[in-house]
Amino acid sequence: MKKKIGVYVCHCGGNISDYVDIEKVKEAVKEEADVYLVKNTLFACSDSSQKEIEHDIQESELDAIVVASCSPKLHVPTFRGVAQRAGLNPYNYVQANIREQSSWAHSDNPVGATEKAIQLVKAAIAKARESEALTPVKIPAVNVAAVIGGGIGGLRSAISLAEMGTEVYLIEKESKIGGHIAQWDKLFTSNDKGSDIINSLYSQILKHTNIKIFTNAEVIEKTGSIGNFNIKVKIDKEILPLHVGAVIVNTGFESYQPLQSEYGYNVLENVITLPDFKNLIEKSDKELIHNGKIIKKVAYIYCVGSRQDDEGENKYCSRYCCTAAIHVAIEAKQKYRNIINFHYNRGIRTYGKQELLYEESCKNGDIYIQFNLENKPQIEVVKGKTLIKVKDILTAGKEITAEVDLIVLVTGMISRKDDTLINTLKIPVGRDNFYNEIHMKLRPVETVIDGVFIAGTCQSPKNILETLNSSQAAAAKANSVLTKGEMTLEPTLAQINPASCILCENCRNACPFDAIMTVNYEDRQVAKVNVSNCKGCGMCTPVCPTDAIDLAGFTNPQIEGMIDALVN
Amino acid sequence: MALIKPELTKDIEKYGTFDFKACYNCGNCTAVCNLTNKNSNFPRMFVRYSMLGLKEEILTSKEPWECYYCGDCSEKCPREADPGEMMMSLRRWLTAQYDWTGLSGLFYKYLPAFLTAMLMVLAGVLIFANAVKWEVEKMLQFGHFFEMIAIAAVFVIIFIPNLMRMWYFMVVKTHSNVPLKNYFTALNELFIHMFTQKRAKDCTDNHFRWLEHFILVIAYLSLLFTTVFLNWFHTQNLFIIVLGYIESAFIFVITVDFVKDRMQKKKALAKKSKPSDWFFVIWLLLMGFTALGVRLFIDLNILESNKWMYIFHLTVLAQWALIIVPFGKWTHFLYRSFAMYFIKLREPEIKSIK
Repeated sequence: MKKKIGVYVCHCGGNISDYVDIEKVKEAVKEEADVYLVKNTLFACSDSSQKEIEHDIQESELDAIVVASCSPKLHVPTFRGVAQRAGLNPYNYVQANIREQSSWAHSDNPVGATEKAIQLVKAAIAKARESEALTPVKIPAVNVAAVIGGGIGGLRSAISLAEMGTEVYLIEKESKIGGHIAQWDKLFTSNDKGSDIINSLYSQILKHTNIKIFTNAEVIEKTGSIGNFNIKVKIDKEILPLHVGAVIVNTGFESYQPLQSEYGYNVLENVITLPDFKNLIEKSDKELIHNGKIIKKVAYIYCVGSRQDDEGENKYCSRYCCTAAIHVAIEAKQKYRNIINFHYNRGIRTYGKQELLYEESCKNGDIYIQFNLENKPQIEVVKGKTLIKVKDILTAGKEITAEVDLIVLVTGMISRKDDTLINTLKIPVGRDNFYNEIHMKLRPVETVIDGVFIAGTCQSPKNILETLNSSQAAAAKANSVLTKGEMTLEPTLAQINPASCILCENCRNACPFDAIMTVNYEDRQVAKVNVSNCKGCGMCTPVCPTDAIDLAGFTNPQIEGMIDALVN
Repeated sequence: MALIKPELTKDIEKYGTFDFKACYNCGNCTAVCNLTNKNSNFPRMFVRYSMLGLKEEILTSKEPWECYYCGDCSEKCPREADPGEMMMSLRRWLTAQYDWTGLSGLFYKYLPAFLTAMLMVLAGVLIFANAVKWEVEKMLQFGHFFEMIAIAAVFVIIFIPNLMRMWYFMVVKTHSNVPLKNYFTALNELFIHMFTQKRAKDCTDNHFRWLEHFILVIAYLSLLFTTVFLNWFHTQNLFIIVLGYIESAFIFVITVDFVKDRMQKKKALAKKSKPSDWFFVIWLLLMGFTALGVRLFIDLNILESNKWMYIFHLTVLAQWALIIVPFGKWTHFLYRSFAMYFIKLREPEIKSIK
């Protein structure tokens, strides 16, 4: 069938036209088969140009359009929108990138850039010629979510989901909900008690009949895809199958445990971690006593297990520990007036409102000593006295010694060591071993596994405020997907022609998304694409020995046509 | 070994009004200071030493004496921590450390102790006057005698041992190998700084203050010379009489201006006057005023009928010579110039370190 294709060559201000001869491009492609009209435009993405293209589509009854401009990453959605508004199927639109791939890359060679642009536009025309109208795939979804992790973040996610009408299964590995927070007394910066906060969240949970809590429970299996996950939860020794539309992972962190003899840990009895010290402060009575000795001078060594040098793998900052240590130091000072706090830090990071705590601590007369990684504090015991020596940056690198009674290692956060969930859910982890989101800024709570969201400190170190922010964001994101009742998927999916499939398993092995399943076809087994898992990546197409697989939007005729156009 | 001593911080705080806790080590104070250089890092480094209580570091340092308190640092401090006052406090603290009797520290920190000492001197003067049956001639004779004895005694008993201690801290403790020759070649540095305070001229907008101070020092020393060696109160020599009047008038006028500054609190250095500052400047004023009064009463021949004038003068003089001079702010005159002298001694070594 003959098509009427409209081609628009964009100047992009001068970004393209300064190096690529637009007139030559127009001249070269106007005789291409099926090309009905060729126009140039100063900015194809401008409102007026968009309106002009819409007008052309309707007026000339175009079957496909090509815009030769910038990277498809930037403006494919724009021009698909143009097509749609003019009544043309969005998948009949093809973008040729003559800016990044031509004018910018070959600004030293305008003649070559022009030639290359011509080839690229011809290839795009070839693809447009073979383009088909595609319709997005819709699959049903259940409005049920599983929240894994019953800490403060998980509780918050569950409540937010329940409030929005999503049914929630809250799955907690321990015998009690509440996580780390439930164990702590005063929390920065509001001084609320951890147990009070957890109790308040728990009482909210009880008001929602659509939240079911499972404790001593672990997710051991996940199949299916967004909108229709089948998960298996092991509760004690029983296995409970659940059908959910989305999963929010909110499994939290573990406290870094100092290595044997790191700053004297496990060797000197007066070296403890920050959580230990917080417990000590909160449980001590009139005098602060550790190991039978009254504590007057406390040294805090910051960044233990965080911001490590080449020997350690934790390069990140744990975000909460500076503030937590200072908050504990203030608590200690309030409870025991004669305590002297020494803060051995690598730059204090009490960002935002937490800075007020730093201010308060300074006003209390706390002493701040700053070191760098090359000169870590050295701990010595001389005649029963514990001495810390360090080259203090703030005193021009002079070696300063302090005699202290107790050393508190300000330990940071590390990811959960138990990786069964990573294997079960197939969530990608970063080099820091925390779960990875798709994009830190643009899609901060989504993972590459559609329908699996991450929130809280399983993703990266966060303080409580940040944990709750991300927990509610994940809840909102999950709910926005599930409440529609159905999922709309990109139609650019792989299709297997069952007649030519020989079930060689090549495609299944190549698929990174577990989207190949086996079905019966005319008394034999063949491979079939599970559309809800397929991302249209195209990995399966080239490995098929019988060419049984085609990818919608990138069909073999389209790609072959493009190659022909490029090599001609 | 630089050992942190938080208790020292608390001690230094008693010598001034500096707010240690406000400082966040930005270093603006050092950046704006005209007198700091690569060999003399202050005020920030000394704020830091004081916060950490590094006693040895402060005790062996010359920097506190290199500051003449123009107040630029205090004005520019973003935390209003007042580093200028910090340097002043360190000078008071150092004065107390050099003083082997420990009285300087006691008087700086505890006003009642100082007042008690002043009252005891007053009582002593009254007891003496009563013992000589309030006879002016005897009192005048004794007063002249007392001045000479007091000066000699304060020098021998207080200043020489204190300067030895200062020398020990600044030169011996810093392991400076000073050739004997240097002690003589550097002497001119000592006298130049003692009589001119020439470094203070580099302070911001300080020329008038420096000039006033310079005239005051010269007038004070000249009056001392005129009363003690030229025996102003007994002389018939018109030149000496007029000279004494001029000197005491200068002292009076300049000290009145200094008192006015401290009352107006406009200049940074006059904003936070400790009792030791007030007593120093007021007693200096009274010295000029009463000396002038006594000589005037002699010339008008009314001293016999106004004995109180001389008793007043003698009291001020005795309090000045026995308390304020040996244990108070007056010692800056010596310590500053000796600090410059010791720096000059150590100069080759300081240069080689940098």
